Amino acid sequence: MSSQGFATVKFFITKKRVAKNLFAYLMLAPDIIGFAIFIFIPVGIALYVSLHEWNGLSPMKFIGLRNYVTLVSDSLWWHSVGITIVYALMFVPMIYCSSLLIAVFLNSITGKIQGFLRVIYFVPFTVSTIVLSIIWLFMLDPRRGLVNDFLHIFGISAQSFLGNSKQALFCIAFITAWTLIGYYSIIFLAALKDIPVIYYEAAKLDGANAFQLFKSITFPMLKEVNLFVLVVTIIASFQVFDQVKVMTSGGPAGATNVAVFYIYTNAFDYLKLGYSSALAFVLFVIMFVFSMLLLKITGGGARE
Amino acid sequence: MKKLLIWVAVLVLSVSMISAISLAADKTKITFWYFHSGAEGEFMAALADKYNKVNPNVEVTAVSIPQADYMGVKLTTAFAGDVGPDVFFMSPGDFLKYANSGIALDLTPYYNEELKADFLPSALDAVTVNGKIVGIPFEIELLGLYYNKDMFAAANVQPPKTWNELIEVTKTLTKGKVAGLLIEPNKGYYQNFIWYPFLWQGGGDIIDVATKKGIFEGPAVENALKLWGDLIKAGAPAKVTIPGTWDLSLLGQGDVAMQICGTWAIAVLEDPENGYSETNIGLVPLPIPDNGKAATDAGGWKFMVNANSKNADAAAKFVMWAFAGDTSLPLEWCTKTKFAYSPRKSVVEAGKDIYSKGLRKVFTDEIYTTAIGEPRYPSEIVDAVGDALQEVMFTNADPKAAAKKANDRINEFLKSFSGSM
Repeated sequence: MSSQGFATVKFFITKKRVAKNLFAYLMLAPDIIGFAIFIFIPVGIALYVSLHEWNGLSPMKFIGLRNYVTLVSDSLWWHSVGITIVYALMFVPMIYCSSLLIAVFLNSITGKIQGFLRVIYFVPFTVSTIVLSIIWLFMLDPRRGLVNDFLHIFGISAQSFLGNSKQALFCIAFITAWTLIGYYSIIFLAALKDIPVIYYEAAKLDGANAFQLFKSITFPMLKEVNLFVLVVTIIASFQVFDQVKVMTSGGPAGATNVAVFYIYTNAFDYLKLGYSSALAFVLFVIMFVFSMLLLKITGGGARE
Repeated sequence: MKKLLIWVAVLVLSVSMISAISLAADKTKITFWYFHSGAEGEFMAALADKYNKVNPNVEVTAVSIPQADYMGVKLTTAFAGDVGPDVFFMSPGDFLKYANSGIALDLTPYYNEELKADFLPSALDAVTVNGKIVGIPFEIELLGLYYNKDMFAAANVQPPKTWNELIEVTKTLTKGKVAGLLIEPNKGYYQNFIWYPFLWQGGGDIIDVATKKGIFEGPAVENALKLWGDLIKAGAPAKVTIPGTWDLSLLGQGDVAMQICGTWAIAVLEDPENGYSETNIGLVPLPIPDNGKAATDAGGWKFMVNANSKNADAAAKFVMWAFAGDTSLPLEWCTKTKFAYSPRKSVVEAGKDIYSKGLRKVFTDEIYTTAIGEPRYPSEIVDAVGDALQEVMFTNADPKAAAKKANDRINEFLKSFSGSM
């Protein structure tokens, strides 16, 4: 190592710097250890397993990249990815628009009623996805469900909902969005409260109407939060599984056979643990690339 | 003196504790995973206790696992992590994977000639792979069509005998919140299990085991697929939440007029705690197509023993004791805990009076002889057939095209399948 290299290392490990950063490292340690144990190491193991043929019962057999070659021509896999994209196209706008709208609405009202409504919208988020899925399963029951009873009042005939291949995916997107709207509304609301009131006052003096205020002040000022919500909800939509498992098991007729459910089927029904690991790894890459592209396109959410 | 007495007492206590600990440590430990609930779960839990009492050197621990997680999530991950149970249940759909992987202990040495002769040959064939008996069949469950006699009388219709009658009666009895017929709408092993008889009735099948080729094509296949599509159109619910279609509660409560269900449901119907005794329920064989032949499915889980277990021999002895020894436990399971036929002739003989009681008589006299064993196809084949059925039921797909797609998938899978069938 050159003398310059030693100098650089010395610069970083001076007693003062170590003492200064030690506390920060200690505080970060539990998270980093947790990530390592529950995220990074399993991802590494999944990558290793994906290079093998393994049914969990017999010893692993190294097959190189064969699982990856197989998945390229696996039409069922790409079909499930397609269903996931359709789900994302329903879920992301639904949750983004609704939570932003609710946040703007909540921000415009004051007093105790705002706190009360915040709690009301947030409550579904506090309940387990499995429990909510079971509740909705009952509510959407074609014959005995409350939703059909409600529709009946308006003369609308009973719908199959989760038993209809054209309605099931939308139902799942709607239920998931309904669960999470409260959470994202709170995030938007916090960001809205950060916007200085003076901007609005100045614009109002110039004669701006409510739409112009939203378009020219509120929306641009929410850029960072917008990006956060978009990235997180896109990732969440690619990870949808619990609701599908409980409510439809991928049906009817494969209409809700999303990518993670297809991976699950390969792992636990077909016992193709190597192949399902390869699928999971490819899904991870798709999500990673997608998130990076989004960050690039939006400039990382930095305000101009 | 007092001190000495205390020391002696401490010494005696320590010695007895150490010997107790060493005795416990000497015990052969066996873990046994089951998924049953209610009376069936209680039977399985009691099985371990009963065995422990008569075998003080063995400690069987029965572990209850929810059925939904049992096969896939729990057993797979446990065996993948090399911590699988010593004794476990196996569904027909996963049977071959476990049998072909070497996880299932060869139980042939535990079956003497007398015992082999006691089992129905078809029941032993179902657990035999490459000439080795790798499981213990302990129940045969048959399917029939249960119906609500009062609803039929009110509508002045007779229980259906043919497919056309089944469709018509379903239409007639579907009114408001009452569904005319309940079949399993969700894809999976259970749906296939319920549907197979309709496939067989017309002479159809899925694979030719001898040539390992898919034969899922032709009018018998297409008609059976179409029938289920027609039944959904006639009013059979496209979605059933809780309870599932394997539970006769919906028929018992008067929510449905007909339901395809198995022998196991009789015990539930007769349980006074469920309050279904007032519902006038009848049972007939499954309707058949014109020129068809009566058929029903004979299903049932099997016991397996973990070949990699340290105590495989003790585990094998435990399951043989439970269902291949004395007739009392199998008889209790098949006639009191639930209703199923025993695959052992001696057990059926011991319970012959019970097999002609109430609705059981219909199963015994009219359905039993038409039974065909549930196929033990790998899940890839079950899935291909399930997809074809779902497409016809819920997307109005052409049965011929759906069958061809499934048959192509089956043949593609069979090309790379090297295990025994």
